[in-house]
Amino acid sequence: MDNNETPAQRPVTLDITGAVEVKPSLSEAPISPLPSLLPSSDVHFQEESIDLGGESFITPEEDSHSTPSESLMDKLNDQMMESVMISDSPNNSEEDDVVPMDNLLEQFEEREEDPEEPENVKQKLTTDDQDVITVSVSAVTPEDSTPSSGSPKPEAAALEASSKETTSKDESIPVCTIFSQGSQPKAQALVPDGFQPTLIKSPSFSSSTGGSTEITPSQLAPLVCQPSPSLSKFFSDSGHVNPATDFFDSFTTSSFISISNPNAESPKSAAPPERHSFIGPTQTEPAPATAPPQPFTQLQAVFSGGDDPFATALNMSEADKRYDAWLPSEETRKVLISMATQHYSQVFVERERLAMPGLKFDNLQGDAVKDLMVRLMGEQAAMKRQVLTANSVEQSFLGLKQLISTKNWRAAVDLTGRLLTAHGQGYGKAGQPSSHNTDSLQLWFVRLALLTKLSLFQNAEMELEPFGNLDQPDLYYEYYPTVYPGRRGSMVPFSMRVLHAELPQYLGKPQESLDRLHSMRTVCQTILDNLEQGLAEDGSMINLTQENRQASLQLWKSRLSRVMYAMANCLLMMKDYVLAVETYHSIVQYEPQQKVQLLSGIGRIFLQIGDIKTAEKYFLDVEKASLEKGSGTIDTCVLMNRAFIYLSQNNYSEAHSSFAEVLKIDPKNPVANNNAAVCLLYLGRLKESLRQLEGLVQQDPALYLHESVLFNLTTMYELESSRSTQKKQALLESVACREGDSFNTQCLKLV
Amino acid sequence: MEVNQAKQEHLLALKVMRLTKPTLFTNMPVTCEDRDLPGDLFGRLMKEDPSTIKGAEALMLGEMLTLPQNFGNIFLGETFSSYISVHNDSTQEVKDILVKADLQTSSQRLNLSASNNTVTELKPESCIDDVIHHEVKEIGTHILVCAVSYTTQAGEKLYFRKFFKFQVLKPLDVKTKFYNAESDLSSVTDEVFLEAQIQNITTSPMFMEKVSLEPSMMYNVTELNTVETGDEGTSTFGKMSYLQPMDTRQYLYCLKPKSEFAEKAGVIKGVTVIGKLDIVWKTNLGEKGRLQTSQLQRMAPGYGDVRLSLEMIPDTVNLEEPFDITCKITNCSERTMDLVLEMCNTRSIHWCGVSGRQLGKVSPSASLSLPLKLLSSVQGLQSISGLRLTDTFLKRTYEYDDIAQVCVVCPYMSRES
Repeated sequence: MDNNETPAQRPVTLDITGAVEVKPSLSEAPISPLPSLLPSSDVHFQEESIDLGGESFITPEEDSHSTPSESLMDKLNDQMMESVMISDSPNNSEEDDVVPMDNLLEQFEEREEDPEEPENVKQKLTTDDQDVITVSVSAVTPEDSTPSSGSPKPEAAALEASSKETTSKDESIPVCTIFSQGSQPKAQALVPDGFQPTLIKSPSFSSSTGGSTEITPSQLAPLVCQPSPSLSKFFSDSGHVNPATDFFDSFTTSSFISISNPNAESPKSAAPPERHSFIGPTQTEPAPATAPPQPFTQLQAVFSGGDDPFATALNMSEADKRYDAWLPSEETRKVLISMATQHYSQVFVERERLAMPGLKFDNLQGDAVKDLMVRLMGEQAAMKRQVLTANSVEQSFLGLKQLISTKNWRAAVDLTGRLLTAHGQGYGKAGQPSSHNTDSLQLWFVRLALLTKLSLFQNAEMELEPFGNLDQPDLYYEYYPTVYPGRRGSMVPFSMRVLHAELPQYLGKPQESLDRLHSMRTVCQTILDNLEQGLAEDGSMINLTQENRQASLQLWKSRLSRVMYAMANCLLMMKDYVLAVETYHSIVQYEPQQKVQLLSGIGRIFLQIGDIKTAEKYFLDVEKASLEKGSGTIDTCVLMNRAFIYLSQNNYSEAHSSFAEVLKIDPKNPVANNNAAVCLLYLGRLKESLRQLEGLVQQDPALYLHESVLFNLTTMYELESSRSTQKKQALLESVACREGDSFNTQCLKLV
Repeated sequence: MEVNQAKQEHLLALKVMRLTKPTLFTNMPVTCEDRDLPGDLFGRLMKEDPSTIKGAEALMLGEMLTLPQNFGNIFLGETFSSYISVHNDSTQEVKDILVKADLQTSSQRLNLSASNNTVTELKPESCIDDVIHHEVKEIGTHILVCAVSYTTQAGEKLYFRKFFKFQVLKPLDVKTKFYNAESDLSSVTDEVFLEAQIQNITTSPMFMEKVSLEPSMMYNVTELNTVETGDEGTSTFGKMSYLQPMDTRQYLYCLKPKSEFAEKAGVIKGVTVIGKLDIVWKTNLGEKGRLQTSQLQRMAPGYGDVRLSLEMIPDTVNLEEPFDITCKITNCSERTMDLVLEMCNTRSIHWCGVSGRQLGKVSPSASLSLPLKLLSSVQGLQSISGLRLTDTFLKRTYEYDDIAQVCVVCPYMSRES
């Protein structure tokens, strides 16, 4: 319409969005770093100083116009001037000339529809919508609301037109109009799909304007809305943080209990001679692969133990068989069969097909808590911090367990490194032939599990890499017929397979995790099918006693449910809620005693999406299920769910009382305590909330020195006063007394 | 960060934190079996962890609430909530404290403070708290301006301000398309179909709680987004009604003019206001947003001065057998017309009756019903064409071709077979 052209001739006195004009002196002002660069403080608003990035709001000349009454404010606040936009000039004289035809038309129609609405209101609102901003040249403060008359007022259209021509900043975009952007640079008439961009505005806004002020799409098409690059980038970047990656596990109690696990120790006594049966790797050239061809049926018979019943019966305990059962891939299977049939003669296995692990990094060492204390409080104070290290414990499984249970996982990782080095799989040994045994693989599992718990995913992935997909022939007992005569199955513990499958999702490769989990699920399912058909786990025709069969079924069902949990968790991380909910649902059949927890969890997923109605349905099912059970602990679960519903309805006071009710039943419930304190903050009761959390941490540090609680506490410290650092240091000291070297200091936000 | 520090130490400190909804803490389950080296250690550690779900430790999504970790994004239609805390950092009591929170947008300035009363005194280590809420109605830069004025014990009046800038982004992309149910028989109904494509252009999943069309006074609306199965309709979008980032969803509505408008078909012409879309969505833990589109407009199909629609026509007719149709002629112009009907035969369609007969005067918005007889000489799907209306006042002729189609079949057995 013509308003694109007419106003262009008018002088534009102040382009709000315009080019950067900063006072020379101010340009030296420190630029506050983007909040996203400060992980510790980005919860709070970044204070705005001078933004040199293109949105200065005033020019030097304008500054001189400031009225005397503002001198104080100017003195205090000249780090940032503000523009004042007066939007209360409905009958701007020039406005009427250039109201686009559409607007006139619309106003005409509007008048027909609700004639009682006074016209001047409409005019005013029209200007609002059109982003008609009259800008007084003087920097009027908000207190001084009278516009300084006489200052030239650029009219809306002028602003629009000029902004179109001179800048692409978003500020010039007319307020509250949304239209399809970017993809359709042409006017809507040319859009091939025939869709019209549609203006959207907030309902309360439009209710006042009565929808009378839309701008036709063709007018607006070029005014594409693009958020200012810096801020939007920051917001979206930081807004995208995956909660799961932010702070992971930590554990609270640290009372040391020595645990002796006869099962774990026993294989050590039968210390296997190393490299006894390892033959292949001595050949560096591609070797003639695998066994000489044999009729398959014969192989099958051999593999299923029919040929060698005595060794099998004698050496394979039922429990071992149950736990070690696994279905190797066809190729691996052939190698293993040939191992068995060759009876101690040489079998050549290609080097590439063997697992040759080695440590990929030497020492993890270090204690972040102590480092932080040295930095903030000096050596003296840091001396108080005493934790176990790999040196201070027995160099054995016993010492390892001691380190784990005291939550000194870094030291524990070091110790696993030493033990593996002793086994010949130390630093730099990756890719070199070595043999495996039950212990070495357990050590690897513990090491990788701890690395994962410490969120050192990259390290874990590096060290897992030589293991491939955990299906190399030398990872099966059959590969070592002399060391483990007659023993069959996987040397790799099932838990390590789960870990191996779950790891990629923490490194941004959830699809890979899902692939691995699916193949694990297939194996579990096949084994369960075999068992139900009266076969042994691996499908062989071995008779199991009823007792053993039941035990095996139970074990494999629980393993299957663990895999399903891992799949559901992974899907949840991928935000594939439909499949995640379905998968969690399917676990109920394997773990009926977890029905209440599972249904509550699904309900919470729906709350996370925002679907409160469906969440309520699930919570209702939880109530029914808990009634059936009729135990006392379930009541807290129902109350907790109710609190979450209130929370989602923005009813923080009711949510708070629901959490308080949980505490009446279970006063030590850490979740309810923490959540009640969070509700208090949203109710504007910061001091109370702080007092509650502080009290909890002091009274029962075992339960409340948890990173989620500490994160909440430090966030509130930051909100409360400028002296949060001292208070955080006090927290650090109490952490230092109790927690091991695995404590994640990031939640204290001290750095 | 403290820009004012160089100049003047203030006794009071102002802190602002955006209150988005809290998030649920997620665990990372690492488990082992009893036979593994750690024995029950891992299991015990997970049980003792307060953030795990007791009895189902492998469930990742916990119940522990954590405060927002960053500013996040704010979108048009959402509510901006913020905690404002003014804390007395000094060792002396401070008097007459006034805290003001304003929100400056590109078009207006709003006062968001719950109260504008002066607090008479603030002891050391105590604070004034305020939680502000504002439904965001504009896109682009917003600046939260917090001003604090107070009097020290010495009687000195002090004042400082802080600015917090944030961008309001657009959450949805909405495109609309109208379909006129015009071309054939349904033209008598004057139905309009609206297809609305709604795309989530945020970075988080959105639960679409409500997407409804509020029709203008002329129309009744039927939502075509559920499939009736039994007593309860199921959504066409499946069980879970959420929209992943960048996903688009099509909503369909059918609009029928109300009877008082439908009778006067001529009323609906030119640009008509159809209504507006009202969209309500929710995200994390019930964070709510609401938007309305502007009035959607449609260019009604032009009927010209005289509109010819069909009231009755058979779908299948026999070859070379006369059949009846009923036409409705409506005067859509502002003047009275005197009409003459001419019928021109086409290759397949032959009109029965006299061509060039007078239909008489038709006043504006009036209509008349016209029974006609015709036959087809060709089999197959035949288009009815060849009606001409001439307004004798203005000597203007209106041509009507391809009014409708009929299927012409042969009633006799073919001899060749």
